[in-house]
Amino acid sequence: MTEYKKPLPRIDGPNRPFWEAARDGRLLLQRCLDCGTWRFPAARYCPSCRGERSEWQAASGRATLESFCLFHKPYFDGFADELPYNVIQVRLEEGVQLFSNLVAVANDRAAIGMPLQARFERVTDAVTLLKFAPAEAAP
Amino acid sequence: MPSSGLAGKIAVIGVGTTDFGRLPDRDAYDLGVWALREALADAALDFDDIDGLIVNRIPDYQRFGEIVGLNPSYTTITPGHGRFAGICIETAAAVLAAGLAHTVALVYGNNGRSAGEQYGGATDIYGSGGPGLWFPWGMTSPGAFHALMARRHMHLYGTTPDQLGSVAQTFRRHAALNPKAVMREPFDLAAYHRSRFVCEPLHLLDYCLINDGGVALILTGADRARDRPKPPVYIRGFGQRARFAGSSFPPDDFWREPMRAVARDTYEMAGLGPADMSGLMIYDNFTPTVLFSLEGFGYCGEGESGPLVGAGNLALGGRWPTNTSGGHLSESYMQGWALNVEAVRQLRGGCGERQIPDAAAIQYMAASPVVTSIVYGRAP
Repeated sequence: MTEYKKPLPRIDGPNRPFWEAARDGRLLLQRCLDCGTWRFPAARYCPSCRGERSEWQAASGRATLESFCLFHKPYFDGFADELPYNVIQVRLEEGVQLFSNLVAVANDRAAIGMPLQARFERVTDAVTLLKFAPAEAAP
Repeated sequence: MPSSGLAGKIAVIGVGTTDFGRLPDRDAYDLGVWALREALADAALDFDDIDGLIVNRIPDYQRFGEIVGLNPSYTTITPGHGRFAGICIETAAAVLAAGLAHTVALVYGNNGRSAGEQYGGATDIYGSGGPGLWFPWGMTSPGAFHALMARRHMHLYGTTPDQLGSVAQTFRRHAALNPKAVMREPFDLAAYHRSRFVCEPLHLLDYCLINDGGVALILTGADRARDRPKPPVYIRGFGQRARFAGSSFPPDDFWREPMRAVARDTYEMAGLGPADMSGLMIYDNFTPTVLFSLEGFGYCGEGESGPLVGAGNLALGGRWPTNTSGGHLSESYMQGWALNVEAVRQLRGGCGERQIPDAAAIQYMAASPVVTSIVYGRAP
């Protein structure tokens, strides 16, 4: 495996359950045990009811593409060979929003409103990134 | 929460700006002092007349006060986010109205160009708590955040790249009439389309500049303002509303809901509405923000801002001449501050070739997770 040059996440912080699950190909998000609202990134308090009781639960991985953009400027050296690369804004069925990348199709296939399915892309031994593919292209 | 009792009770009596561009010999403190000296001269006041100090973007209020030897009775400092221009001016009005100070200096210094600011990549601090969480996916920069919003606006309403380009083109034409502006060479839409994408759909010409400079304003109560040599410009109305919930992500409604709330409060306090404005100063970090602002503040209906700007309404000679200085896109990236100064200068008259004829009321507006607006008037 060649050296991975893109920015890597901090996996031992409050989002540790998310990163550990991703490594196993599973999507875990924090959920309020008082009102049921899902959230990410991790926070001690629920932004909806301010409750403090929560646990990490499995999410569906089903999402909708809300918007997308194409980076032509390499703000990070590790992306310099992939310009232009896409970043997508997605909303999961559970209501949580994320930034991610659209995979398995060309950039010009991105369309606002398209249904997406989670994909897991192992980038190092420790880190697997949550990405999204068009739902029909999911295995 | 409109504060109608404050309408016309606070005035701007001095404005000051430095040169804009690349000023590598001066740090943010120096630029702030330079701007403050200009503003004090403009108001015919001395440093010792200042008893309220609001510092923005300059790293440290204590050091700033030490450099100029000030001992004010009210001091505060705010982070270098563009939304704070409006917040600070509103705070100054409240401080003056409460009698905590009689003469407030607002001072801004920005050496971003010489300091090598990029507003994207490893040092990016834009967003809620900073966007570092998303760097592994390559997500960074306020430009990308607004590119996502622009793409969605195009999808929902049919807004076109030409319409965004016309905003950039219009503000550049205004800058061509402003000797202080950093970028003064007019361009046509073909040149706009040829300019490189930074984060598609946004081109380089959709982005604000990164340059050095400083801005200062002196505010006081309307009663004290009348004995100054230059005509005071009155704060007729203002408002503020935050949208922090979910603010790590572009808002579904382009901040329309908080803007409508601010518009309601501001227009009610001022007793004025869009039809009464001689010109507009719109926070133009990126061209799409101008479109979102026009919709949120009632200058057109939802989704109608593209045709509004495309028809030339923002140009000098148009219905609402906007960012007559050239704005952040072409004059100087002073994070809202220089737009407020331009409003004052237009209302005093004397802006030369870029003067809005008979300017009587001008609205500043900033669309962001904290929406602010201020209506300035020639009369109280």
